[in-house]
Amino acid sequence: MNPPVLDLKNLSRVIQSDGQPRAVVDDISYHFHRERVYTIIGPSGAGKSSLLRLVNRLDEPTSGEVFFHGKAHCDYRPCELRQKIGYLFQTPHLFEGTIRDNLLYANKELSDDEVKSLVEQAQIKSSLIDRPTDRFSVGEKQRVAIARLLATRPEVVLLDEPTSALDPSYTEAIEELIKQIVDREDLTAIVVTHNPQQALRIGQEALLMVDGKLIEHGEVTEVINNPQTELGRLYKERRLK
Amino acid sequence: MTTPGFLEVAISLVLVVIAIVIARYWRIPVEKDMALGSVRAFAQLVAVGYALEFIFDLESPWLIILALVIMIVVGAHAASGRVKGIRRPFVITVSAMAVGSFVTIGVMVLARIISFEARYIIPLGGMIIGNSMNASALTADRLSSDLRSQRLAIESALALGKGWRVASAKFIRNSATAGMMSMLNFMKTVGIVALPGAMTGMILAGAEPLDAVLLQIIVAYMLLSAVTITSIMAVELTVRRFFTRCHQLQHDV
Repeated sequence: MNPPVLDLKNLSRVIQSDGQPRAVVDDISYHFHRERVYTIIGPSGAGKSSLLRLVNRLDEPTSGEVFFHGKAHCDYRPCELRQKIGYLFQTPHLFEGTIRDNLLYANKELSDDEVKSLVEQAQIKSSLIDRPTDRFSVGEKQRVAIARLLATRPEVVLLDEPTSALDPSYTEAIEELIKQIVDREDLTAIVVTHNPQQALRIGQEALLMVDGKLIEHGEVTEVINNPQTELGRLYKERRLK
Repeated sequence: MTTPGFLEVAISLVLVVIAIVIARYWRIPVEKDMALGSVRAFAQLVAVGYALEFIFDLESPWLIILALVIMIVVGAHAASGRVKGIRRPFVITVSAMAVGSFVTIGVMVLARIISFEARYIIPLGGMIIGNSMNASALTADRLSSDLRSQRLAIESALALGKGWRVASAKFIRNSATAGMMSMLNFMKTVGIVALPGAMTGMILAGAEPLDAVLLQIIVAYMLLSAVTITSIMAVELTVRRFFTRCHQLQHDV
């Protein structure tokens, strides 16, 4: 197998919750290899999004380190790192202006053809490129956010519940879009989802998190259908809150 | 017009009584505030009057600076009470007000537009510090509120590899504008909608209107400078509290 693109070593983040310290990410170590799709599953409050934020360095770990191509996060300039490790938020936020403005905001060196190509990749009608985005539906906005995510030419994309704010009719289309883009661009994707079925549809590997800890990991079908731990079985039976 | 004495002030209390009677008739529950406010205004202003006479007589530059420092500290304390969501906002308001006020007064003194005498520095300093106080409070409060409520917008930009300054540029602009807005509105309407205090005071004291106008123009420019410097300082000191060196937005500030 090719060398890991991302390496998490004993990663922890402790926050103050109601005056008490709480580990939202608790001593997680894992290798993420190139061109694979990983899904992070687990109940609400398991620390899935907190883990993604540490990988994008939107938050700082309390202990442990993240390595990108073998080099520690802190050895990169944060802005340079975040262009290589893109982050898609659960609720898309578009900046004022048109789709083109949003893509050029992410990367001002994009040519006209590159803007068109990104818009096509995100399956947005090219006639909308110069249309203000303020009246778009959440689904359309998420497509623009995906095109904008690709504008910085990332190697890894972190997708934080990318369909949870969408209408069910849009979910399938966005899932399909994510799969196509990851295949075509040879990206490594880490997708947070609270839905095991979605993990099965789009992921190759799965990481099950509970209370900030990594409980199970491996091939997605094994983790979801054949869990080896008590917590894994409880999650499968939907008895974990 | 005669120079008013304590008797005239006592007679003018009839206006306070009229205001209280009107408020009571309309059942607006402010009679106590009005009565207390009138007594406080009397006590504070008389005290200031004696203090100014004392300072004017001494003509000590250190005393002038001390008076300005006290005014800034008291003003910054009042301004910090209006800034929500930041720990120890006094550090921000006092620094912003001190830089805005001293730079402006310093330029005017060095350019020999005003001389460094208590009778000029103290009243002009009071106007400058009063306006800086509002500017620092409005700017810091607006920026703190925007940076908290617009977390998704800011982190969307940070996640694309933008630095904290770019990610928060819109909110920096909006808050600095908010801090300067009342001054800009004053500049637009001055002399048309209302005659400003310094000019009115000079005319009432018997100065020629044109002399009063020229001084008022200088005062307006001084206030503009002080408010602008204070707002920018307040923005810089506030925004840096919210971001780490690694361009991360933090809320525990």
